[in-house]
Amino acid sequence: MKKLFFVLFSLTINVDTFAAFESTYEPLQSEKILFINGNILDGEGNELLDTDLFIADGKIIAIGKGISVDDKDIKIIDAKNKWITPGIIDIHSHMGVYPAPSVRTSSDGNEATSPVTAEVWAEHSMWVQDPQYALALKGGITTFHVLPGSANLIGGRGVTVKNLQRNTIQSMKYPNAKHSLKMACGENPKRVYGNRGQAPSTRMGNFAGYRKAWIEAENYLNKLEAYDLKSDEDKMVESPPKRDLRLDTLSDVLKDEILVHIHCYRAEEMALMIDVAKEFNYKITAFHHGVEAYKIADLLADNGICGALWADWWGFKHEAYDMVQANIAIVDQARGGKGCAIVHSDDERGIQRLNQEAAKARAAGNKAGYDISKARAMNWITSNPAKAAGIYDETGSLVAGKNADVVLWSGDPFSVYSLAEQVFIDGALAFDRNTGFGPVSDFDVGIVDPREDRVND
Amino acid sequence: MIRIIYCFALCFISISAFSQTIVIKGGEIHTGLNEEPFVGDILIEGDTILEVSTKSLKGDVVVDASNKIITPGVIAPDTQIGILEIGAISETRDGDSDIYSMGFSVFDAINPNSTLIPWNRSNGVTSAITLPDFNWDPLSGMASYLLLDGSLRVNGMPDVALTGEIGAVSSGSRAESLILLRDLLEFASTLDEKDMSSSKKISEAIEDYEIAELMDLHPRDVIALYNLLNNNLPLIIKTNRASDILKLIDIKKLYGLNLILMSAQEADLVKNEIAENKIPVIINPFDNIPDSFDELASNIRISASLEEVGIKVMFSESRTHNYHLIRQGAGNAVANGMSYTGAIMALTSNVAKSFNITDRGILKKGMKADIVVWEDDPLEPSTFPMKVFIDGNDMDLTTRSSRLTERYVDKRDLPNTYK
Repeated sequence: MKKLFFVLFSLTINVDTFAAFESTYEPLQSEKILFINGNILDGEGNELLDTDLFIADGKIIAIGKGISVDDKDIKIIDAKNKWITPGIIDIHSHMGVYPAPSVRTSSDGNEATSPVTAEVWAEHSMWVQDPQYALALKGGITTFHVLPGSANLIGGRGVTVKNLQRNTIQSMKYPNAKHSLKMACGENPKRVYGNRGQAPSTRMGNFAGYRKAWIEAENYLNKLEAYDLKSDEDKMVESPPKRDLRLDTLSDVLKDEILVHIHCYRAEEMALMIDVAKEFNYKITAFHHGVEAYKIADLLADNGICGALWADWWGFKHEAYDMVQANIAIVDQARGGKGCAIVHSDDERGIQRLNQEAAKARAAGNKAGYDISKARAMNWITSNPAKAAGIYDETGSLVAGKNADVVLWSGDPFSVYSLAEQVFIDGALAFDRNTGFGPVSDFDVGIVDPREDRVND
Repeated sequence: MIRIIYCFALCFISISAFSQTIVIKGGEIHTGLNEEPFVGDILIEGDTILEVSTKSLKGDVVVDASNKIITPGVIAPDTQIGILEIGAISETRDGDSDIYSMGFSVFDAINPNSTLIPWNRSNGVTSAITLPDFNWDPLSGMASYLLLDGSLRVNGMPDVALTGEIGAVSSGSRAESLILLRDLLEFASTLDEKDMSSSKKISEAIEDYEIAELMDLHPRDVIALYNLLNNNLPLIIKTNRASDILKLIDIKKLYGLNLILMSAQEADLVKNEIAENKIPVIINPFDNIPDSFDELASNIRISASLEEVGIKVMFSESRTHNYHLIRQGAGNAVANGMSYTGAIMALTSNVAKSFNITDRGILKKGMKADIVVWEDDPLEPSTFPMKVFIDGNDMDLTTRSSRLTERYVDKRDLPNTYK
């Protein structure tokens, strides 16, 4: 009897405190490493030549010239003529939800059954054996954000992931990182639903759809808050408002607990989306793709909204027609450099070389008359995406106290010939090009030749 | 009277333009041949290269290319330039025919005013092969070749290759596609000059051959098939799986086909057979993703691996519109083991040779003057061309994109929607 009581009691506690799908991430065994005489782009806009970096216990301990550490357990890596950057972060990935091979049975990125599916979470679709994570790691990607697709006006929650392939999604999830909410403007939602003879079939239909959803979310939040204010006695007799997964997500946005990321190409649509956000009092973190972001770069800077953009994609649809290669630079340089520019991939090939994409965007910006340093452009693939994922306090730049997410490059990371030689996540070696150390997904095992792994790059 | 003077002036300009020579001085010349680069001069007269030399050459117009790199104009082997403007707008796409199959030519659809032409040209592409859509048919339409000079009368060559595709299909079997390919070629092998002498004769031949009639072939389709077997017309087959590649090699040998493999992500596994049979391969050097079960052996070292056994490699790029990114792809191929000279050849002479374009793709005396002077290393994606010559003409490098950039970078008091 006593035992049973105890079990019941602990169950109650569990129900109260259990947060579903929480991260169980644990880093690999970290080392104490002193990188000496490396060329560092720190992700804070600084280029530090011939500089040392010391990492230990998974953290960045010190960065500077002539660091000496009195500890015989440390490993010294000679980084002379090599370059060191923070781990690269991609704010727009569909790895896992659109894995390779691209087959219908695993294409789980768009719950295209209703224009507002705020109730779905990308992490519930992710295939942990996707062979693409390891390829991205070889390109220096230490963290990536997985979003639902853009078929819906509101497509669901996105998730930030550490690029350490494990057997459960919980063990890959970035601890305590906020979710994102994926929204989409323009052609995709109106095409998907318009083709079915249902709303939205126009851009004005899109906007009506967003606003209706936010009105519902406001009402839901009001009810929740009103219930919270009730006395304990009232709560004994009155049950709380019925839980609604869809409105849980939207009301969390209104409570500033979820970051809003919007797929949006055209300038005027971005400007209208900013007004919707003001109408319902939430903040937009970033517009993604934004082929026309350069047309409203000042507006983005004034509202503290990042542009997560491609270096040069265009032409696949009408809303992606007005491409300029200086897009990222113009967004970055808005209001005297107050803009927030991010180079994103949305692509399993592009994610492997975000450094090259940043190089192109920088070159185009400088050709257009700006004077953008490599150190500044490095922010586009490190600290800025970290900010947009809400993890900047922990990673995204090489600053003492932050997580030791570090890439050692064979040369200048803005050159096509440079490769990531070693990649560290939380101070632990995750990939080593010279020894071949790195993750191999179960998918890769024995699938071409039973005696071998799929690829030995 | 005014009109007459105007004409005189024009005539004078055109005559003097023709007789003027241009010398590109002091650049590091990569000829597109398998040889080391050298510093030298290139002399152009009209549309032709008069001389390429390590000695100093003299010309009427001098282009200073010191500290610059010079290559032949890039030839993109796998594009839809001119027949595609906006992917999602079907009325701007002209890559497909409901009536014709092998006989379908895209040449007449080419739009010389497409924004893709100045865009790719300003990024160093001077000519391109443009292909009809692939529809999982073992044989489909014909590819054309065009110069990216924007001439309203398109300069190029229609119908330089036939296309087709073999591999995984969501319904049916690849075996069916391979049998169909064999049957169509077998039909073509029964045809002689007499059968081809008139449309009527060809129609009779179709009626007499079950598979030809079943496939609803038209005389145009049969002519294309005939050219495959009798006139060395290149056949581009898009395929990936190693076992499919081997089957295609068998078919190539049986019918003496001029086969070019495209995509070929598992080519690495059968590279010796491909090399022995001298089959050129168009690959995407960025693509190491096992996108399908036909591409499991896909890997980033494929360019180097194929080059190593002497295969003629060419590059493609999976995103439409930015076909010029094959030079970034070439840079990645070099980063992963390919030789620099081999990568330049893959962008230029390998394409010309594979598609029987005899007067371009190489910088040497007598060739057409398609030349790019690069600000820096052309395989670095952050490098832009300084000068692009097509047929000896110093091309304008303005693009719609560069015009839009100016509108938004030059801040004025007027809204930038005003002129």
